[in-house]
Amino acid sequence: MIYFDNAATTGKKPKTVVDAVNFALNNLSANPGRSGHDLSIKTADEVYNVRAKTAEFFGAEGAENVIFTLNCTHSINCVLKGVVKMGDHVVVSNLEHNAVMRPLAKMKIPYTAVEVKDDVGETLDRFKRAIKPNTRLVLVSGASNVTGQILPIEEIGEICHKRGVVFCVDAAQIAGVLTINMKKMNIDFLCVAPHKGLYAPMGIGLLICRKNLENTIIEGGTGTDSLDYSQPRFLPERLESGTIGVPLIMGVGAGVDFVKKTGVEKIYRHELMLCQKLYDVISSDKDIILYTKRPEFGFYAPVLPFNFKGCESYHFAKMLNSHNFAVRAGFHCAPTAHKVMKTLNSGAVRVSFGAFNTEAEIKSLISLLKDKNFKEKLKKSIE
Amino acid sequence: MKRYSIMTGTVTYAIKGRDLLRKNGYKANIERVSGEKALGCGYAILLDGEIEKAEELLRRNNVKILEITQL
Repeated sequence: MIYFDNAATTGKKPKTVVDAVNFALNNLSANPGRSGHDLSIKTADEVYNVRAKTAEFFGAEGAENVIFTLNCTHSINCVLKGVVKMGDHVVVSNLEHNAVMRPLAKMKIPYTAVEVKDDVGETLDRFKRAIKPNTRLVLVSGASNVTGQILPIEEIGEICHKRGVVFCVDAAQIAGVLTINMKKMNIDFLCVAPHKGLYAPMGIGLLICRKNLENTIIEGGTGTDSLDYSQPRFLPERLESGTIGVPLIMGVGAGVDFVKKTGVEKIYRHELMLCQKLYDVISSDKDIILYTKRPEFGFYAPVLPFNFKGCESYHFAKMLNSHNFAVRAGFHCAPTAHKVMKTLNSGAVRVSFGAFNTEAEIKSLISLLKDKNFKEKLKKSIE
Repeated sequence: MKRYSIMTGTVTYAIKGRDLLRKNGYKANIERVSGEKALGCGYAILLDGEIEKAEELLRRNNVKILEITQL
């Protein structure tokens, strides 16, 4: 199977990540922050080291600012429900994931979805105009998980900083692919899916904070202040009730090391080169519908949505699967982006890249997409 | 040499403080403690040395200190 579904989770994990998880299972099976025996302290030390290296990687102030959550969606929920109160207004983009849109809908908080334009200046003007006196939070994706469009987060961060608005970035698609420096970019909260661009295992998320959260969405045991029924005030414990996933955390640490060693820009350039190779071939194919401009460096993350004319995306993906290509079809939990692409009826097939994908693999997909027999088979199957 | 218990509450701040002190030449360890300031359970840094500069170093680096006790 050739795996092109890396925007859902990176399909291949580095051996160092697998080894780190195994090491934790074999050697760190003691609860950190709960006991005083040597193994508990040793485990807490290892967890702290991952917090510290993650903080450094994302330009956060200190290890205590790195919170381990269940996943990126959990992180986003923590921020929305921890920051926003009744009477507040929120600004998002028109490309947000349901991780943002569903909590907003449930909270019944008024929001403005800013249209992301190809012209960065125009996009920024729209963000400026969308901020109202009662805007409490601006929350945007670093890049759309469907179109791949990169949002100008540094510039949006500057606007938020000047206007005194809390700024949160959903970095699910950009962490490990684009350089992020929270301090420089004025990001108050960064939500990360480490199982994607950081090559960590699934089942863990990161919430990196430059501020504390007023409200918590989960309360419980933290191993500290046990006689007090109130939730602790200090990070990270305030947002980490219950036992944390040590083996997964060790995987995050090894993933950060892998990305740092390989180089964020090197990974991005490699993945984008594969994305461009695919785009350049299929853009001249009359049977293929593309929805985005050519994915250029700095403007697009390495994901590419497209369809085969007349073919429902799930069927197209099924046919690709039968030829051993793993891609994702449908709506990618982001109806917002599909509304923009006008694919709310069909969805789209999304090809997304990881550091381990090769030129030979993309040539193989291109070869299949150009293959007359495959096209005929596909056309016949939809007649 | 004097010995102090610096109550930080959380294990994260205890490790941060211990590492900071060690990097600056202090002898420091952490231990699990129970006490009024920790409201039941918490962690403290055990410091062997002079407290004034150590405390200043910790506070300057945003280590939350709940209580300092000479042992």
